[in-house]
Amino acid sequence: MRTLLAAITLLTLTASPALAAAEGGKVNLLEPHAGLIFWTIVVFTVTLLILRKFAWGPILGAVQAREQALTDAMAAAERDRNEAAKLVAEQKAAIETARNEAQRYIAEGRATAESMRGEMLEQTRQQQAELLERARKEIEAEKVKAVEELRREAVDLALAGAGKLIGQKLDGDADRKLVEQYLASLGGK
Amino acid sequence: MSLATVVADSTAKYDIITPHITNGDHMEIPWILPPFFKEITLPHWEPVQLGPLALDLSPSKHVVFLLLGASLLILVMLLVASAHRRAAASGAAPKGASNAFEAMILYIRNEVILPNVGHHGEGFVPYLLTAFFFILTLNLLGLVPYGSTATGNISVTATLALLTFITVEIAGVRAQGWGYLNTIFYWNNELPMVMRPLLFVIMTPVEIIGKFTKPFALAIRLFANMTAGHIVLLAFMGLFFTFGLPLGVLPLGMALAINFLEILVAFLQAFIFTLLSSVFIGQIREAHH
Repeated sequence: MRTLLAAITLLTLTASPALAAAEGGKVNLLEPHAGLIFWTIVVFTVTLLILRKFAWGPILGAVQAREQALTDAMAAAERDRNEAAKLVAEQKAAIETARNEAQRYIAEGRATAESMRGEMLEQTRQQQAELLERARKEIEAEKVKAVEELRREAVDLALAGAGKLIGQKLDGDADRKLVEQYLASLGGK
Repeated sequence: MSLATVVADSTAKYDIITPHITNGDHMEIPWILPPFFKEITLPHWEPVQLGPLALDLSPSKHVVFLLLGASLLILVMLLVASAHRRAAASGAAPKGASNAFEAMILYIRNEVILPNVGHHGEGFVPYLLTAFFFILTLNLLGLVPYGSTATGNISVTATLALLTFITVEIAGVRAQGWGYLNTIFYWNNELPMVMRPLLFVIMTPVEIIGKFTKPFALAIRLFANMTAGHIVLLAFMGLFFTFGLPLGVLPLGMALAINFLEILVAFLQAFIFTLLSSVFIGQIREAHH
């Protein structure tokens, strides 16, 4: 649209002798001018060289450096996060292990206590039984001894009694044996 | 013909449009006394003889604006670059205008140049970025008071298009080596043997014309857009002086609207020149016949 407009205007301008005559000569907008072409090349090239070295390079470099720094920061954050997650997992695992260990120690302690108690109980019972046994044995022995004593005393009494009765002293071994045989016949108990 | 005389003698018929849009050895500069401008005559140098060619290197109006635009652009970009260097030292992005220029530079680089030029196109970024900002600066210089549009001169736009043409062809040679010849001489190995010479004869001129059409279109598009806008602007302003008040307010309003449109066109044409140059470079680097 604009190009069309320009073309029409240009045609009008170049074709209009009245306008052209105002400047005292023909005006041709499309006429190239070597000097201006030369200047354009020089000015543009110099601008390009200066801007490339002192503007585009530093500006794009700064932008790239900033983008790089951003990417680096993001990567570092990602790495840190992963590391933190790993550490947390490790920590969790350690806690789990510790808890299991504690559980095991407690169980072990309980088992040990249980077994110890059983052992002690058994030992006590055994000791008790032993004591009982010993006491019984002692009683038995004392009883036997007492019976023995009693029997001897009885023999002596019987002999003394019988000696009194018959007026003579019964002291011989033969007599004693006799009484003992008699007592034995009464029952050993 | 001095503009002062034109303003003074309003009954006479004068052309104020043609001197404004064409190159010349007169220039108006700001002046503190009424009518607030002063017409100066630029120096005329003897043409330099280069063999048969007489090169007139006189600093005409458009040469002055080329130099002015280039200096302005270099100054601004150096300031932006130093702001970036300072900001980069502290690891932050620059603030304000530098950041705005960075956004423009990055947009042109990342959205216009690199996707169109293709892989490993970083080497073309400086040329295309410079072309964009160079054209943009010159376009905008035509819109400020006392300004003149160097990009409204066919010699300037043709030269810029020529530089793009050279860049495109160099890109073709570098990307394709001997295969570059295929972009000039049409020889399709997929065709039957009989057809190849026939199509070679038909297509080779087409290829060659195609090569020159692209920069030609670039030159004409930029030149015509910049010139046309100024002609329309001046025509409306002329209508204001013709009608006088109060009716002249209408064309003045139109002139204002067109001026805003011209700002858009200034950006748009710089953008289109850069975009199409990128596309042409990308095309020749990808071309496989």
